[in-house]
Amino acid sequence: MAAAAATAAVKGNGGGGWLVIAVGLVRAYLAKGSYHSLYYSIEKPLKFFQTGALLEILHCAIGIVPSSVVLTSFQVMSRVFLIWAVTHSVKEVQSEDSVLLFVIAWTITEIIRYSFYTFSLLNHLPYLIKWARYTLFIVLYPMGVSGELLTIYAALPFVRQAGLYSISLPNKYNFSFDYYAFLILIMISYIPIFPQLYFHMIHQRRKILSHTEEHKKFE
Amino acid sequence: MFKRHKSLASERKRALLSQRATRFILKDDMRNFHFLSKLVLSAGPLRPTPAVKHSKTTHFEIEILDAQTRKQICILDKVTQSSTIHDVKQKFHKACPKWYPSRVGLQLECGGPFLKDYITIQSIAASSIVTLYATDLGQQVSWTTVFLAEYTGPLLIYLLFYLRIPCIYDGKESARRLRHPVVHLACFCHCIHYIRYLLETLFVHKVSAGHTPLKNLIMSCAFYWGFTSWIAYYINHPLYTPPSFGNRQITVSAINFLICEAGNHFINVMLSHPNHTGNNACFPSPNYNPFTWMFFLVSCPNYTYEIGSWISFTVMTQTLPVGIFTLLMSIQMSLWAQKKHKIYLRKFNSYIHRKSAMIPFIL
Repeated sequence: MAAAAATAAVKGNGGGGWLVIAVGLVRAYLAKGSYHSLYYSIEKPLKFFQTGALLEILHCAIGIVPSSVVLTSFQVMSRVFLIWAVTHSVKEVQSEDSVLLFVIAWTITEIIRYSFYTFSLLNHLPYLIKWARYTLFIVLYPMGVSGELLTIYAALPFVRQAGLYSISLPNKYNFSFDYYAFLILIMISYIPIFPQLYFHMIHQRRKILSHTEEHKKFE
Repeated sequence: MFKRHKSLASERKRALLSQRATRFILKDDMRNFHFLSKLVLSAGPLRPTPAVKHSKTTHFEIEILDAQTRKQICILDKVTQSSTIHDVKQKFHKACPKWYPSRVGLQLECGGPFLKDYITIQSIAASSIVTLYATDLGQQVSWTTVFLAEYTGPLLIYLLFYLRIPCIYDGKESARRLRHPVVHLACFCHCIHYIRYLLETLFVHKVSAGHTPLKNLIMSCAFYWGFTSWIAYYINHPLYTPPSFGNRQITVSAINFLICEAGNHFINVMLSHPNHTGNNACFPSPNYNPFTWMFFLVSCPNYTYEIGSWISFTVMTQTLPVGIFTLLMSIQMSLWAQKKHKIYLRKFNSYIHRKSAMIPFIL
């Protein structure tokens, strides 16, 4: 009971955090008049709340939230990687439009997801939120993925130039790491992984929304 | 078997008929010889009625259902009391040829544990009719094949890198620089390690459980082969940097490596001794061989020695990727050692609790 209440509080906070980001985006847009370079206005809340999502992995590991640990940690790690290792590290990328693309996609998804969890924990889930969670991803997911891929692609030349996070031979410990090749590898890994996750979500949608309709019919 | 039932019954009927026929003749002497001859001829071969033996051993009848569809696949009857799951699987394969014995997993109830091959029917049967659920476990591979594939790969891959095939390294760089002796030593040690593994798999180890799914083969081969390529790339690279403390570091770690390899070998030989395999394992006791004295301190000294070998190899080559590989192997082996240690603790009441699982006094 206490765990559920605590989780509800955390989820509420998380949802609130992303609302802050959404509001910040809108305000910045209205102030600036254009949608370019809006990243700087929501940089801090974005970093704080997305990194805070690491707690989600803990929640799944303990068992409070019924999602799978592997899938959740995968998603959270990829987002944290994008925020810190790409957008924060490669400063030239921060003014790109692709950053805005994935930030908007994440913001909308997270607000809906957190309200879904909060309402579920309070046992009072409106159908609209459930529908939104399992339908809007059809547009938002590809949008987010395109934003992420374009950002990584934009960062590549700067990484190569600066030799960012790379170690080369010869060195005392006989180790080398090429961050440029690593980023390319990550981009390639989207090809097998994205369709799997996408169709998994579509399958979930069919299962959950048809289940609800059947319930409604019997009522 | 069903057909035999039929023939037995008809035989009994015919025998009874012939008995009745003879009684008729005794009562009414030669009433109708023609009638008699007809009867005798139609009665078939006159044989004494086989006495129906009421055997003391009951036979079991096993009904096998598909675990997913819950439909009946077949019924095996005349299963003797002393048969094991292994015999059942063989009979099942004879009855339905597409279910290979090594691919079938039999459960008492859906979702229960798979029954091991050595379990007898008598121990699990509640009545003379037993219901088992069969699942197809997918393409299976024998453990020996897995080990052979796992260990041959690294052996050959390391040698490929050692020979500095032009497509991996830059040709001119490779030709120009002289190689430090530690590179040759590392290749020698690595080859010894895997050749020893291969020979032990072929001649020493006795594998208890027969098969494993194909997926395991692919994953473990990918792990071993991938890491060996990564390690071999750095050690045999033209820009390889020899260890910081020079020859002292190299010789000490090489000697340590050889000691650990010998220790691992002796422990494996000891563990494969007939008393110590499978589930009837009694705990091996140390003997005159100093390498086996590790048994005083630790439950699974073979893992201890193996980690020792890899740590020595890391120190000898001073290469970070080898260190990462050692770390991952140690984590995996410590999990296995903990499991085995718990089994020993549970099984042997007189087990000395001050022993640790893998690393003396620590783990």
